[in-house]
Amino acid sequence: MDEQMDRQGVGQVVLELDESISPALDQLRDLVKLSDPALSELGLEALLDELLVSVRGLLKVDTAAILLIDEEEQQLVARAAKGIEEEVEAGVRIPIGGGFAGRIARNRVAIFIPDVDHADILNPILREKGIRSLLGVPLIVEGDLIGVMHVGSLHPRQFDQRDLAVLHLAAARAAPAIERTRLLAVLEREHRIAVALQRSLLPRELGSFAGMTVAARYLPARDEVGGDWYDVIDVGEGRVGIVIGDVVGHGLAAATRMGQLRTALHAYAVEGHGPGRTLQLVDRFTGHLGASAMATAAYALVDAETGHVRLASAGHLPPVVIPSTGDPRLGEIRTVPPLGAFSYRHCPEVEFTMADGETLFFYTDGLIERPGIPLDVSMEELIRALRGAAGAEDACLLAMDRMLPLRGSRDDVAVIALHRTPLPERLDLELPAEPAALTLVRRTLSYWLRKHGIERELAAEIIVAACEACANAVEHAYGPERGSFEITAWLEDGAVAVEVIDHGRWRAPRGEDRGRGMTIVTAAMDEVRLLTDEQGTRILMRRRTQGR
Amino acid sequence: MSLAEVRYDFRDRIVYAAVRGEIDMSNADELGEGLVEATPNEARGVVLDLAGVQYVDSRGIQLMYRLRASLRVRGQTLRIVVPAQSPVHNTLRLAGLDGEAGVVRTLEEALRSMNPDQSSGAQIEPSA
Repeated sequence: MDEQMDRQGVGQVVLELDESISPALDQLRDLVKLSDPALSELGLEALLDELLVSVRGLLKVDTAAILLIDEEEQQLVARAAKGIEEEVEAGVRIPIGGGFAGRIARNRVAIFIPDVDHADILNPILREKGIRSLLGVPLIVEGDLIGVMHVGSLHPRQFDQRDLAVLHLAAARAAPAIERTRLLAVLEREHRIAVALQRSLLPRELGSFAGMTVAARYLPARDEVGGDWYDVIDVGEGRVGIVIGDVVGHGLAAATRMGQLRTALHAYAVEGHGPGRTLQLVDRFTGHLGASAMATAAYALVDAETGHVRLASAGHLPPVVIPSTGDPRLGEIRTVPPLGAFSYRHCPEVEFTMADGETLFFYTDGLIERPGIPLDVSMEELIRALRGAAGAEDACLLAMDRMLPLRGSRDDVAVIALHRTPLPERLDLELPAEPAALTLVRRTLSYWLRKHGIERELAAEIIVAACEACANAVEHAYGPERGSFEITAWLEDGAVAVEVIDHGRWRAPRGEDRGRGMTIVTAAMDEVRLLTDEQGTRILMRRRTQGR
Repeated sequence: MSLAEVRYDFRDRIVYAAVRGEIDMSNADELGEGLVEATPNEARGVVLDLAGVQYVDSRGIQLMYRLRASLRVRGQTLRIVVPAQSPVHNTLRLAGLDGEAGVVRTLEEALRSMNPDQSSGAQIEPSA
């Protein structure tokens, strides 16, 4: 075979594979499994290991190693080795073009070194190990060099055409599998980061709002993360903002962009800008992010007390309005182009009023888009799916359950629903005994009193008294096992009654500070009854609504 | 979203702290600690402006008393601005603490009572 080898430098031969020789192919049967798609299920390390073990066995060599290219550094990095594991542990790096492996990579040729002592070897480990002869081939996928595989012998050895054929075949089989696995690892890493990012950007808690319930779901795509988002914004003064959005594109970039847009929209909304103005400002912001940024979004600002809704949409799909009885329908929208498409001066709003018991449902296209099915057909399907939804949570559940295939969606999906709860005659809440619950008591009781026509100043005093009683309940139930407390309010003839029940042990107020709470309760209410037994504590309070 | 926010100014050795939001058992302690921390030793006193407070309960009142006690130890005075008919005023009234010393109706009144001989407005130094 010497005639077929170009002499290159001292003691080094460049090999060309003689295609006419197809030697000992039966021996190569082991290598068939290298092209097995199951191999890419293995991690990269496991794949390389498997590969080297079979190459070493086939060629009966002492060492086998794989170096993969580091694109940024233009270097080869030892990634796996058998017989010279030190090479990997030491993190050997070889510049492309330098030394044995470097020249294989640069010239994309096989190189045979019969006697290592007389050759230009950069890697000291090869010498230290006492390797006498080396044979190496490039790893090439679709014309791109991805690395080098070489084998070595501790005794002087004339590698022949058969050996070269085996190594070439192993390289040809292994290279795509390596590349696939490597890409997969990169993609998986990106997917993991993107999912983590997306999760960290979606609101963890939707908040509690008097007179309304909100529910939402986010489902990442089967293969790739997308840029869908939802948001709930407490705008204050009994108003709640509901946002749905969809950044064009997929992957980490889309997830990151989603985070930027969500934050911008939230910030503008919380400043009190209305839906139209908010989208207009976000559109301008999107323009600053660069040409690649584009997204659809809808923002609805809902007044809990009146049910009045202001809605603006930048290219987003219309919401579904679900009445408490009867057929759901598509909500009216006046949409402007998507955010970042081209800037507009004015973003119109539509206004409507939600009836008690109605639910407003927003979604991203991942919920309804299906290959080969027109959008209006799957929208009709969504409307049917939402029929009879009994609230926000139920609407999300029905939509995800009935609209999405079992295997998961190709696109990511976000949905958010807001339900206007009918005003109860009797307010009845059971809450965890923690300080944060007091905020909800205030909001809910305030809403309930106002809706029942209780005059503002009177309501304020009832709320202070009720919350003092609840604060006591929270304190009683404090301890290792977190309890709960109940607050009930109802109207009597010419009076408002509030009852607070906890299951902790009553402690007589101590000191000036504690006593002050009960002073406030008795000052604010006309009648206060404190009942305490081993079951817990019950405070029943009444306040006349007129003629005090 | 936090229940209450405080904006600080330090002017003429007086800490001016304006609270907006609601004060209850979930944030009263934290708020009180923040106020004490924001008051440097060289300050003559604190003006606590509760005009922007939408709700206060007995824990909020407790906060005022504790704050007054901690400031007194350092020889500093406390003035609390509670406008008439404000939510804080209503709670104070229910607690029977309406005419409590140190509670004033307006910011001007607070500053006047802390600077009996002041005639001209001093420069505002933004606090850190």
